[in-house]
Amino acid sequence: MKHWKTLAAAAVATTVGSAVLAEGLVTPNLSYRTGPFAATGIPLMNGQKDYMEMLNARDGGIGGIKIDFTECETGYSTEKGVECYEKTKGEAIVTQPWSTGITLQVLPKTNVDEIPILAPGYGFSPMADGKTFQWAFNAPSGYWDGASMIVSYLDGKDGGLSGKKVAFLHLDHPYGKEPIPLFEKKAAEMGFEFLPIPVGLKEMQNQSAQWLQVRRERPDYVVMWGWGAMNAGAITEAVKTKFPMENFIGVWWSGHDADLALVGDAGKGYKSISWSFPNPDAGVMADIQKHVVDAGKSLSNADEMSGVFYGRGVVMSMILAEGIAAAQAEFGTAEINASQLRWGLENLNITEARLAELGMEGMVPAFSTSCANHTGNSGGWMLEWDGSKFVKASDHLVPDTSDYAALIAEKAAEYATANAPWPMNESCDAPS
Amino acid sequence: MLNDIFIAPFADMIAAPDFLLQVLWEGLVSGVLYALIALGFVLIFRSSRIFNFAQGIMVVFAALTLVGLHAMGVPAWVSFALTLGVMFALAWSIERVVLRPLVGQPDILLFMATIGITLFLIGFGEIIFGGETKQMITSELGIPTGSITLEPWGGLLIMEEKDITIVVISGLLVAGLLAFLGKTRMGRAIRALGDDHQAAMSVGISLQTIWVLVWFIAGIIALMTGIAWGARAGVSFALEVIAYKALPVLMLGGLESISGAIIGGLMIGMLEKLFEIYWGQPLLGGNTETWFAFVLALIILLFRPQGLFGEKIIERV
Repeated sequence: MKHWKTLAAAAVATTVGSAVLAEGLVTPNLSYRTGPFAATGIPLMNGQKDYMEMLNARDGGIGGIKIDFTECETGYSTEKGVECYEKTKGEAIVTQPWSTGITLQVLPKTNVDEIPILAPGYGFSPMADGKTFQWAFNAPSGYWDGASMIVSYLDGKDGGLSGKKVAFLHLDHPYGKEPIPLFEKKAAEMGFEFLPIPVGLKEMQNQSAQWLQVRRERPDYVVMWGWGAMNAGAITEAVKTKFPMENFIGVWWSGHDADLALVGDAGKGYKSISWSFPNPDAGVMADIQKHVVDAGKSLSNADEMSGVFYGRGVVMSMILAEGIAAAQAEFGTAEINASQLRWGLENLNITEARLAELGMEGMVPAFSTSCANHTGNSGGWMLEWDGSKFVKASDHLVPDTSDYAALIAEKAAEYATANAPWPMNESCDAPS
Repeated sequence: MLNDIFIAPFADMIAAPDFLLQVLWEGLVSGVLYALIALGFVLIFRSSRIFNFAQGIMVVFAALTLVGLHAMGVPAWVSFALTLGVMFALAWSIERVVLRPLVGQPDILLFMATIGITLFLIGFGEIIFGGETKQMITSELGIPTGSITLEPWGGLLIMEEKDITIVVISGLLVAGLLAFLGKTRMGRAIRALGDDHQAAMSVGISLQTIWVLVWFIAGIIALMTGIAWGARAGVSFALEVIAYKALPVLMLGGLESISGAIIGGLMIGMLEKLFEIYWGQPLLGGNTETWFAFVLALIILLFRPQGLFGEKIIERV
């Protein structure tokens, strides 16, 4: 009957913004539980929603005020996402756009509406520059962090990257193109060949041409920036063409248990860089089980809850909740507004001790944000598919942020110039 | 530049003939699948002049029903039979609830009705089956999942057994369909309706029966297509977008021609793969498959507006 619950969730999601009176702090999520990317979206949305449900049930919300974690269904469509933003912004203290395309569209609007964008682990990488993008946050890690960690990891293998060839299989979409500037820079510096291979939306499930190119070009490594059905399509083609799985690495959105389950043992060795890791034994998971699942409020199931994406959804909502709590403490009021939440998100301090208090040990590395740094650069772990689940295959990895600080400043300045007049937060220094 | 366009690609083909064979094989498999989807469109258009926008979602719905029933513990072949039953029930319901009240209405209304069917099936499918990717029950249906490795000219050619099975079964399905349309009373009735509705009805052919039959056949084709595509990358609502790949096939082959759908599908499948590998990737950065087929179809339409195999319609005014 879980799908009847899904119907209820979808009905709520599609009708949000009509005559629903908000109760508590309104934190809309521009979700995508339907359409070609639903398989990726559902566990993430469920994790996000369940964490907020848990806080509402266990603690009465945050600081004594309930969280109205309403969803607006976009189907991952940029046009629908913009409509959802407009529909939900009225009482919202934050917007969670859930696609790089939607993020880019609403980015200028949030400056005018003064609503923070929270895009954990996605969006436009130069959003790290808090001076330029004062309303946008992509903590705990941005795409250039991910690219940097992957490059460092590969450079540490088999004699380094110099002279090697790296194919970059990516969705032909703003999200997929996001890390290209950094990869190109690193390729020029380190002397490896970088070969972008785009995958169109209509080709996600039939990537034979892309993998024929892989076969012809014989890259040493394939790095994937895939989303939704593209991940499963790529992994099955990699198995078919007998590409060595240990040389195939995806970004964190290409590390979904369900995609790898399609190939099972044949996917052994496939890796995914990730800033989150599921911990079914964590205290927070027990609380979600008790207050949400057992109370019949969850749309998830045991299998999904033990996976990488559900755990990541939980972490994402924790980041928002910590931002709200920080703002409440700073301004001495539970009913914070969007501007105050912006301060909270700019002053996140997620230490190992705080993670232990939250019952989230091992689920995300410690990180902090500042006025100048809206990404936090938490780093992450290299995960590896063992045939049935993802396991940690590395210690905590950190990106070399000094490597692209100048690139962030350059691209942020380019964006501000192209969208002039663009308001700057002069109280911030350049990102560290 | 001229060398890159006119000489280098052919030199590559000659230098690595095994790779060329691999490209052609992958193109053939894609082409067969495009042809299958296009056939679903053509059958319905021939009998009712309706462009069935719902063909893509029917592929998803059929595949989801099959794997959904199996997930409930129903044996694979029983699930297959039950899915056929569901597709028949869907065909009957569509005729009864959607099409029958619209008989005699302008074609555009019937087309809009199929958009409504699409939206209904998306919502209904997500309620019943959820949006997660599901694994096609390939081996449970007896479809082999290994691969055959050949070494032509000392090179390498990998053919997945499931792709070979799909090509063979699709060929048999198309042959059966052609025999049905050409040799049986019902088949001839479908063709008669396609030629002239009123004349066909005046000799006792039941429009309602034929519509149910045609939509059911389109449902069977959708199921086969869903199994074939689902076996490649799982079953999810992303399969729906594959239906758009059939549009240039229809433009090329003509909306009314079954042989056009088959030949158009195969042509587009192989030509787009050849163009992508030998011209698109080296010269244009790749991903030309998203537009190549449309450009090819447009060029052909410039010279043959009815498509390669479509009938020239002359309307007297």
